[in-house]
Amino acid sequence: MTDLPADAANETAGAADEAPDERERLFGELLDDCVHCGFCLPTCPTHVLWGQEMDSPRGRIHLMEQTHTEDVLTEAAVGHFDNCLGCLACVSACPSGVAYDALIEHTRHRVETEYDRPRSERALRGAVFALFPHRNRLRLLRGPLRAYQASGVSSLVRRSGLLDRISPSLAAMDRVAPSLSSPPPALPERVPAVGRARARVGMLVGCVQGAFFPEVNTATARVLALEGCDVVVPRSQGCCGALSGHAGRLEESAGFARRLIEVFERERVDRIVVNSAGCGSSMKHLDRTLAEAGADEAWVRRGRALAERVVDLTEFLVDLGPRAERHPLPLHAAYHDACHLSHGQGVIRQPRALLAGIPGLRVSDLPDKEVCCGSAGVYNLLRPGAAVELGDRKGRDVASTGADVLVSGNPGCSLQIAAAMRRAGSPIAVTHTAQVLDASLRGLPAERLSGRA
Amino acid sequence: MTLVGEPGAGSGALREGTGADAVGGLVPARVARPDGTEALGRVMAAAAREELAVVARGNGTALDWGGLPRRLDLLVETAGLSWIEHIAGDLVVEAGAGTPVDELYGVLAAAGQRLSADPVRTGGTVGGMVATGVSGPRRLLGGALRDLVIGMTVVRADGVVARSGGRVVKNVAGYDLAKLHTGGLGTLGVIASVAFRLHPLPPALRVVSRALPSHEHAERALEALRRSTVVPSAVELDRPPEGPACLRVVLEGTPDGVEARAAETSRALGGEPEVADSLPGGWGVLPSEGTLALVSVPPAESVRAAARVGGLSGAAGAPAHVTGSLPAGALYASFPPGAGAGAVGAVADGVRSVPGWSMALLRAEPDVHTAGVDLWGEVPGLPLMRAVKDSFDPGHRLAPGRFAGGI
Amino acid sequence: MSETATPTRAQADVASLVPRLRRICGEDGVLTDTARRRTYESDGLTHHRTVPGAVVLPTTADQVAAVVRLCAENGVPFVPRGAGTGLSAGALPHAEGVLLVTSRMRRVLEIDVENECAVVEPGVANLDVTRAAAPYGYYYAPDPSSQQVCSVGGNVAENSGGAHCLKYGFTVNHVRGLDIVTPSGEQVSLGGKSPGAHGYDLIGAFVGSEGTLGVATRVTVGLTRSPERTVTLLFAFTSTDAGGQAVGSIISAGVLPSAVEMMDALAIEAAERAVACDYPAGAAAVLVVELDGPAAEVDAQLAEVTRLCAEAGAFETRTASGADERARIWKGRKSAFAAVGRISPAYIVQDGVVPRTALPEVLRRITELSAASGIRVANVFHAGDGNLHPLVLFDDAEPGAGERAEEVSGAILDLCIEHGGSITGEHGVGVDKACKMPRMYGPDDLATFDLFRRALDPDGIANPDKLLPTPRLCGEQPGVRRGPHPLVESGRAEQF
Repeated sequence: MTDLPADAANETAGAADEAPDERERLFGELLDDCVHCGFCLPTCPTHVLWGQEMDSPRGRIHLMEQTHTEDVLTEAAVGHFDNCLGCLACVSACPSGVAYDALIEHTRHRVETEYDRPRSERALRGAVFALFPHRNRLRLLRGPLRAYQASGVSSLVRRSGLLDRISPSLAAMDRVAPSLSSPPPALPERVPAVGRARARVGMLVGCVQGAFFPEVNTATARVLALEGCDVVVPRSQGCCGALSGHAGRLEESAGFARRLIEVFERERVDRIVVNSAGCGSSMKHLDRTLAEAGADEAWVRRGRALAERVVDLTEFLVDLGPRAERHPLPLHAAYHDACHLSHGQGVIRQPRALLAGIPGLRVSDLPDKEVCCGSAGVYNLLRPGAAVELGDRKGRDVASTGADVLVSGNPGCSLQIAAAMRRAGSPIAVTHTAQVLDASLRGLPAERLSGRA
Repeated sequence: MTLVGEPGAGSGALREGTGADAVGGLVPARVARPDGTEALGRVMAAAAREELAVVARGNGTALDWGGLPRRLDLLVETAGLSWIEHIAGDLVVEAGAGTPVDELYGVLAAAGQRLSADPVRTGGTVGGMVATGVSGPRRLLGGALRDLVIGMTVVRADGVVARSGGRVVKNVAGYDLAKLHTGGLGTLGVIASVAFRLHPLPPALRVVSRALPSHEHAERALEALRRSTVVPSAVELDRPPEGPACLRVVLEGTPDGVEARAAETSRALGGEPEVADSLPGGWGVLPSEGTLALVSVPPAESVRAAARVGGLSGAAGAPAHVTGSLPAGALYASFPPGAGAGAVGAVADGVRSVPGWSMALLRAEPDVHTAGVDLWGEVPGLPLMRAVKDSFDPGHRLAPGRFAGGI
Repeated sequence: MSETATPTRAQADVASLVPRLRRICGEDGVLTDTARRRTYESDGLTHHRTVPGAVVLPTTADQVAAVVRLCAENGVPFVPRGAGTGLSAGALPHAEGVLLVTSRMRRVLEIDVENECAVVEPGVANLDVTRAAAPYGYYYAPDPSSQQVCSVGGNVAENSGGAHCLKYGFTVNHVRGLDIVTPSGEQVSLGGKSPGAHGYDLIGAFVGSEGTLGVATRVTVGLTRSPERTVTLLFAFTSTDAGGQAVGSIISAGVLPSAVEMMDALAIEAAERAVACDYPAGAAAVLVVELDGPAAEVDAQLAEVTRLCAEAGAFETRTASGADERARIWKGRKSAFAAVGRISPAYIVQDGVVPRTALPEVLRRITELSAASGIRVANVFHAGDGNLHPLVLFDDAEPGAGERAEEVSGAILDLCIEHGGSITGEHGVGVDKACKMPRMYGPDDLATFDLFRRALDPDGIANPDKLLPTPRLCGEQPGVRRGPHPLVESGRAEQF
């Protein structure tokens, strides 16, 4: 595992010995919260696909119970845990407040540490995590030279077959985001507020966002500045650890978390603004991630202090209130709720409110809007079949709205849905909430978003 | 004969049958009139021991409904089971099978309540109304008669008294056996009492009537009503053999409410509808003579079905009066008394040849029976019905032959 | 917790069917490994658990029929299951039987606006019927509180109601057509788009038969025109008595709301903690009343209901007509069941019915029961039709608390029967209440139910041990029976 950051694997040393038992006990208590009502079934993407109990949150909790009480991890159970996209739609749907997010994260960690996966799968997973949490490695995959450049990524990545899996997505990305080939200049570390400053905020760049959608970051910084924020973009920031954490690679995730905490602790910022749903969702419980990984109390406290300052861009802007003028954008947009925004952070109202504040912009909701698009972090690489089916469903839902452009708050979703719609022969332009706001604040023509002349 | 010796059956409770007691031309040897549910049970148990064929009679207004019984030894009259227990606060009533329907409705009306089903016969009993089971025009809100029955006590062929349901509207304990007996023509048991859910009498009522000069007018009117949100209690077609048809829309509610809804209904129907504040005479009552059929069709085909029945019967020389609820797809075809078996059979064949349409002869004149016209047509699920019959009445002694498929 | 014994002989029989089940339903349509089968061990009522012998996931009616025929030919029991949300263990699997799950039969086949009906497969979620009909201005009226997940097939089996059944009735009042697979594996079509069918009303008797008469594979339901206006009102009272009185006066005034729901102080407390529903402070009872229909009628009723509640002592009234505002009022009520988990580690949801006029008396008696036993009872109920859902709270860590809670819960059912009500208004009998049936019905009544069951399922393979008491399930019932048990007498059951 030479591609792993050196510190990630070693930092758990010194975790208290009794902690795992205590965590198992707490895990058992969390399992008990499930009353088996089944309200999670209709919004669970895998249950939507396959209609069987073991691929629903209720069924997976049952499998977790079996794993917990009998202390065995069967191949069947691992398969169904792996099938979970971690979209957290079930958390939103659950009337009993079952912490499925904590349950699946704990379970995945156990799978990662105890379960002996087949060699090919181990290689694939290793490759994914050697690549994705690293913005610089990801950048090599971009643009027309990617095939050539990729050879430099790492031998592990090449051997795993991962590139074959990624290629279609990358190809789609180039098509849906033409600006990609000429990326905007890198963001400066400081972007001053336009007019009187109302706040001083840090900004997370993100791995996938930073590598593939730099213009979203540019738009985010510009919108924040136009709304009166001094924006701090620490250059030394790395991955937030979300992708690793969601896959049960807790130590790796905790390592990323520690570095991120150190970076942002150095900046005196009121809030840390995140424009990527998956990152924000994960960063809002950095303390839990650290605790699960066995970190000491001091680190957990530092994690909590950071987590409490994390805010999604749309949440932040709604709280701040509009100051800059909104110019009309005569456009029909469909808004897609990224799971880690709506289910992971409960941010549903705010992006809609911001879009509603733009004159001339008509916004449609999608049918079955609570169901995941199948992107789910790196799920589309690990379970491509299911991801494609879910993407196709979502693509049909988007098409049914007749919108000119699809807006979402997560880069993975945009890629996934755009690829699906292209496959179906009804391509659509995808954009981020930040870009729509940016266009309106700067008075750009609607065609810049819809791609139509 | 053991029947006489049964305690509680009383000496006056059993007599010889006479010509006036005949059902479908069969004169019963004996006629029993038990004075209560227990006594009815004893009568039925005795009849079981003697393997007697039994037909139940309320006030005899529908003894000519259904097929002709193949056998008849004992006629059981329910007149002795006449009682009403009205639990007004709960909007529930339970009544003995022999209770006259008029009496029941009178008691309920005095308390400001009603059983929201329009009787289709006058002079009938509660047991007869339920055993024949068909519904009158006002069925669009409270439902058909079967939807209003919440409990029932029935005496089985072997004399066992069995209850299903209860006196509360919301109840899912046990099978809803009352559904089988409602419209079962007494072939699965003799109904002893029925519990119904009630509704408050609405303070105000309007009847919006519109003449329908043509088929197209009728289709348009129905379509307009479907699009509206006036929520009628009844949308009743009246299509006499001669002259224009008429559509009557009944609206029930508060005085202000029905006023506004009547106006909206008039607009939806177009033409120049008449608005009245009471029901026309003889509302919902079907003719007491002549062959009578129930035509069931998908609601959107009601108007076409009415026209087809009218056309076929006219062509066959026995023009039928077609009435019924268009949104329920339930039409009654009343043939003129004396209509020949050929004409009735031709209409039945013509209706049944359309996929999704069915026609049952509720009451056929003797000539129609003799000619062997099929009263029921194809009845889906008949083997299951036979299985139910075999289970409840293994000796086939309850009104044998009166029901579909010779049940 | 009840575990049904697992005789070994018939288990082998199920196993021997597996190759043929796979031929019928495909490789991925049959589950045989223990871990997967175990996820089906209970429905929504988790204290009854049995691991099914095998699980099949058919996708067509033909597959259902073939599976049932195979079971019938081999005397193997089958248990139908929809979404597994039932609260009476009606879909409790049979250890030696096949669990037949309809969750892959979930196509809305047709929305027929002109005939105001929908044709759906049994695994379609109740709310999905409404979603499909909504664009045409229609909805599917029965709305059990699990409507986003519970299946139409399950609704048919249980004759589900919902908050709005006060005005719109139950599933049975809306089903026009059923394709069923009988316990012998035959496919029969009953009714259709035409609301009236000739012959015995088999649809009426099949609905609510809890899977004991076969499996519905296709359902035609009537759709209801969306009302012109809907208004939701919330009234706060200082006692449940006052709330009950208000219900009585609303109903006797001739107003028929689409829903009348009541919550007592404890239930309100739970809902506040769970969803911060912001009900009026100091309310010992809240009444949620919904009125719908033509605008003119709703307006008239609105004034009347508000007046009647004020007379009964309502100290605060809220009126909502927008969808969001209405949802806010409903939020507390709809979350109440699950919310109780926030004020108690464990609880039993009871489902009983009393005549509406007996409500105040029964509520008082429940309070007495609660006080005498030290077991708290939260009341959430459909007040309009007397359907009580007492939530009996206890701490499962405390020795004996569960038993005492069971006793209180049972005593509440006794109260319902004593007042002329029913042991279940909507959750069904299933396994959970099969042994309580003799408290509501006499031996002759039960034997008559069984006559009907045997007519369609002579071999007793369709969802056995549900709905009716059996000695295996309930043991002897001293003092209730006269003579031999009717089921024994009728040959359906043996006593061991």
